[in-house]
Amino acid sequence: MQERVRISDSQVNTDLTSSIFESSKLYWILVGFLALVVLCGFTAAGYMFNRGLGVTGLNRPVMWGFFITNFVFWIGISHAGVMLSAILRLVQAEWRRPATRAAEVLTVFSLMTAMTMPLIHAGRPWRVAYWVFPYDWARGIYPNVRSALVWDPSAVFTYLTSSILFVYIALIPDFAVLRDRTTGVPHIIYSILSLGWRGSVRQWKLQIIAGILLSAIILPIFVSVHSIVSWDFGTAMSVEAWHSTVFAPYFVIGAVHSGVSAVVTVMIILRWMFHWEDYIRREHMDSLAKLLIVVATAWLFFFALEFFFGLYALEGPEVALRELQVFEAPWKWYFLTFLITSYLIPVPMWLIPSVRRNLWLMAFTTILVNVGMWFERFIIIVPGLMRKQAFVFTWGGYTPSIVEVTIITATFAMVSMLVLLFAKVVPLIPIGDAKEGMILHDEIKIGKVMVPAVMREE
Amino acid sequence: MATETINHKWGMVIDIDRCTGCQACVVACQAENNIPLNTEDRFRQRRAIEWIRVERYWEGEFPNIKARFIPILCQHCENAPCEPVCPVYATYHNNQGMNVQVYNRCVGTRYCANNCSYQVRFFNFWEPVWPESLKNQLNPDVTVRSRGIMEKCTFNIQRLRKAERVIEGQRGERITDENLKEGNFLPACVQACPTDTLIFGDWNDPSSKISNLKEKHFVDGGRGYKLLGDLGTQPNVIYLKKVDINAEHKVDAHA
Amino acid sequence: MHESHHVVAPSYLDMTAQEITNDVLKRHHSPGNQFWTIAMILGGLFVVGLVGLFMLIADGFDNKSAWGYYAATFGYVFSLSQTAVLVSVALRMAKSHWRRPLARISEMFAIVGVYSFAMLLPLLWVLPSIEGRRSLWFEWPGNTPHIWDTMALGSLVICGLAILYFASLPDLVTDKEVSGKSDEDVSYHPLIPHWFGAPKHWQLQKIVLGLLGGFYFLMLIIVHMLISVDFAMALIPGWKDAIFPAFHAINGIQASIALIIVTMFILRSRSSLGKYLELEQFWALSKILLATCLLWFYFWWSSFFTYWYGRMPAEIGVLKYIMFETYSTVFLLAFTMCFVIPFLILVVNVVRKTIWGPTLAASVILIGTFFNQVRYYVAGFSVEDHTLHVLENLPDFTAPGPIDFMVVVGGISGAVLTYMLGTRIFPIISIWEIKEGLMLQRVRKFMKRDIRVLAKPE
Repeated sequence: MQERVRISDSQVNTDLTSSIFESSKLYWILVGFLALVVLCGFTAAGYMFNRGLGVTGLNRPVMWGFFITNFVFWIGISHAGVMLSAILRLVQAEWRRPATRAAEVLTVFSLMTAMTMPLIHAGRPWRVAYWVFPYDWARGIYPNVRSALVWDPSAVFTYLTSSILFVYIALIPDFAVLRDRTTGVPHIIYSILSLGWRGSVRQWKLQIIAGILLSAIILPIFVSVHSIVSWDFGTAMSVEAWHSTVFAPYFVIGAVHSGVSAVVTVMIILRWMFHWEDYIRREHMDSLAKLLIVVATAWLFFFALEFFFGLYALEGPEVALRELQVFEAPWKWYFLTFLITSYLIPVPMWLIPSVRRNLWLMAFTTILVNVGMWFERFIIIVPGLMRKQAFVFTWGGYTPSIVEVTIITATFAMVSMLVLLFAKVVPLIPIGDAKEGMILHDEIKIGKVMVPAVMREE
Repeated sequence: MATETINHKWGMVIDIDRCTGCQACVVACQAENNIPLNTEDRFRQRRAIEWIRVERYWEGEFPNIKARFIPILCQHCENAPCEPVCPVYATYHNNQGMNVQVYNRCVGTRYCANNCSYQVRFFNFWEPVWPESLKNQLNPDVTVRSRGIMEKCTFNIQRLRKAERVIEGQRGERITDENLKEGNFLPACVQACPTDTLIFGDWNDPSSKISNLKEKHFVDGGRGYKLLGDLGTQPNVIYLKKVDINAEHKVDAHA
Repeated sequence: MHESHHVVAPSYLDMTAQEITNDVLKRHHSPGNQFWTIAMILGGLFVVGLVGLFMLIADGFDNKSAWGYYAATFGYVFSLSQTAVLVSVALRMAKSHWRRPLARISEMFAIVGVYSFAMLLPLLWVLPSIEGRRSLWFEWPGNTPHIWDTMALGSLVICGLAILYFASLPDLVTDKEVSGKSDEDVSYHPLIPHWFGAPKHWQLQKIVLGLLGGFYFLMLIIVHMLISVDFAMALIPGWKDAIFPAFHAINGIQASIALIIVTMFILRSRSSLGKYLELEQFWALSKILLATCLLWFYFWWSSFFTYWYGRMPAEIGVLKYIMFETYSTVFLLAFTMCFVIPFLILVVNVVRKTIWGPTLAASVILIGTFFNQVRYYVAGFSVEDHTLHVLENLPDFTAPGPIDFMVVVGGISGAVLTYMLGTRIFPIISIWEIKEGLMLQRVRKFMKRDIRVLAKPE
């Protein structure tokens, strides 16, 4: 437990801005490689625009495939930000501190990436502005507000705006630190961004109030975003597998599961890359893993409800769908992978305290979770379309094409690259928060042992 | 146009008992509506476009096996699931009971196809191409759809508009089954059907054949039914069940 | 912040461990005349309820709709009492310090579990066989739900009692020590002589409570699902609602927190236990209460919205039956009292941080929850033909008659009476947990203020 060392304030500044002022060869090799993958993705997308969606594996009846799966996946990852920053701030969990910035940044970039997915998967992507913004004023035709696809961009853009605000508010004090440590053009940029921050009591007060207010306001948005994404499917009554009342909370809790796991992975990578051992400590992993146990179990409960009540009515297509998912290759392998990697391996492992404090195992389990969660979305979306209604004549299958696989791979590279590049511009552990955590930390002597303790914030 | 507009509600009755599975309707539809050629490749990709298709089901075990055919086209639902989900109003319900697709508005989200219970909406995955020899056979009354948009059965709205113009506008008569047939205004599939499986008409015209058939068969023990009726989509296309001869034989045998 | 600076009322935080022990035990042994007067009145009402029950039984079990209000009362008592135990279990797992004074208040509801189990028994004769209708049990024999629901609720009740027993064991021993009884005096109680608070005993108790708590949590979710589906959802044709078990459980959690708040308020004013049940407890619970109110709405909305948008006749029939036509008044009452009113009360910070604010909201929720149970239990029992798949003709509204009033009032009075009698066996305030809490906190000077520092042992 006694991993914490006392670090002076100026040392904290130096440590946490190290990602900006120093960079290893490894860092640039990594960024370069990721950029290459992203380039491949752009090429593939360009080819797809040129030739039409025929180059994908989509067909009738599987009109939505890898792209929509990936869209839901990245929207899910984006739920980490609010879960860790807003909810844990409101419940005053001390161990949230080093994770908040990484989570928020991941939120912003994964949301941006997610939003590209439905756009490029449209038949005429150059016309999608039609559907997001009111168009054609002269004839009075507006987007159809009854369509879940209109709610989607509204919810996602609201979430994106508020997440950017959220990151920015938390960044102001850190920009000031950077302003004081840079010269030339970066100095000017950081000066503008820091909004004249001097660190006075009043400024801190305002910054904290803004943070808490945004936390409370962003919560309903957080819930609504993935609920609305789930209603893309839930409201589609023709696809029996999708038309389930449990989808909204099921998607939200699944999003938290994969999002928090992704943050743990990112934190471990950052710790390794920038040597932040004193800030991202094993006790943080321990607490995050405990949170994940609860989240994963709640998610499994909703999954069980969804699966079970699919069968409840014993209708032909539904039974055929479950048989397809569970017994027929290749879906049974996807199903098995999903169940094992997103719950059956990680959660029993997290129950062991030494696993929770082992960085390698934590990185391993959290990556597994996201592999499983990707498959989860896949086996919800595609088999549902393959077994739509009782006309077996039109039941079909789906094999993704190389174009789709390339674009999907590129989205992973893109989010990783953007997070790494962002680490070059701002510290990915909030400096002010880290210091506040140190001030509020205390120890109490009980009998013969010193027990860590916190002062309460309110 | 006549001074008073006559309210139509187009619909169809499909008598499965008469269907032989000859696919004449499919070919007629293909020719009338400028549908790109469904090559073997397209079928293998599961991307063939058939506004009307004849589904074939096998019934019974070999050697007592029977082929059953059911022609399926857009049901023009009154309560269509595909309509509210389109973000750009590319599909909507017109005032003649038809579900229509506006190609210009469509951006190709394909949500309507997902939410169609009958799988009768088709996406143009490729740019449509015709061999040079077929260039002149394209129907000038029908748009050629570019890639990236949805299309579906229109009940040959171009013919119905012409019928309104000619019969109601110029002659000042009411559209009936007879003058639709005389003027070649019936949908191509109906015209081509050699067994009169497909019967087209106006639900609002009480004397039309389809209205009579509905009255006759939507009674207890009647043959009439709606496809996936429990979904509550209220189709404007209704079906008449196959008369099961075997069932009667069995009854006789018991008696 | 430490209360002593501005609060005049004495707080247990200023008392020594010895004082707390003596104070709680004194109250435990002399409940006062008022206690027995109230118990007598409740006993009278309970007898009235019993008479009502006998009248129902005399009429026979075939007329299902006559049993609707009895079933609703059972559902109400079950979900309140059994879920209330969870509050203590969950908060102990989360290591919340503020839970300590209210832990026993919550666990004591395990005793009411026995009562709710007894209430289940007559219903087993009323519940129709599952043959030929949709149910959780697919093709199993007709009496499967009768057997399994009884077993599940029975094991839940036993587990709850075990939690109550092991959690109060240290206090029972203290009671024996303080009142100077010998081992022979407590021979009816085999474990007491073996407990003397050795470290091993405490460790064992922690492990037992942890395991029982985990089991209780899982079991409770399952029992909520069984009861809500077998006794309500499966009885209404066309109702296939994956979120309903979760909704039933969240309504139970909401109402049981409300129940604990109301119980705390009564104990404060009637038994002058105000120095243990302070603003801190009310405030902390009211935050969770607000969250559960929002969840109530969210889960309800998820199910309503999916049905309403889908427009399928089977689902619209259910919406009409239990929400918008037949039971519309009841639904409106439930909706207003479970969500609208408590939300408006609790969303105001100033009100939420009082004693009366949460109590007011909690009382409203307790009434609203009853209406919510009426909405689906009475509706379920009023359906004639359970084998249908679509509710074509809505059954008539079953208005409560004199017998129903007797059963409802008597049923609830009996539950309260059981709880009151339980407080004669176990002290209502958990002495050892409060003492443990005192050990784990210190008051430290920070800047210019006194701040409470709380230890967070691993």
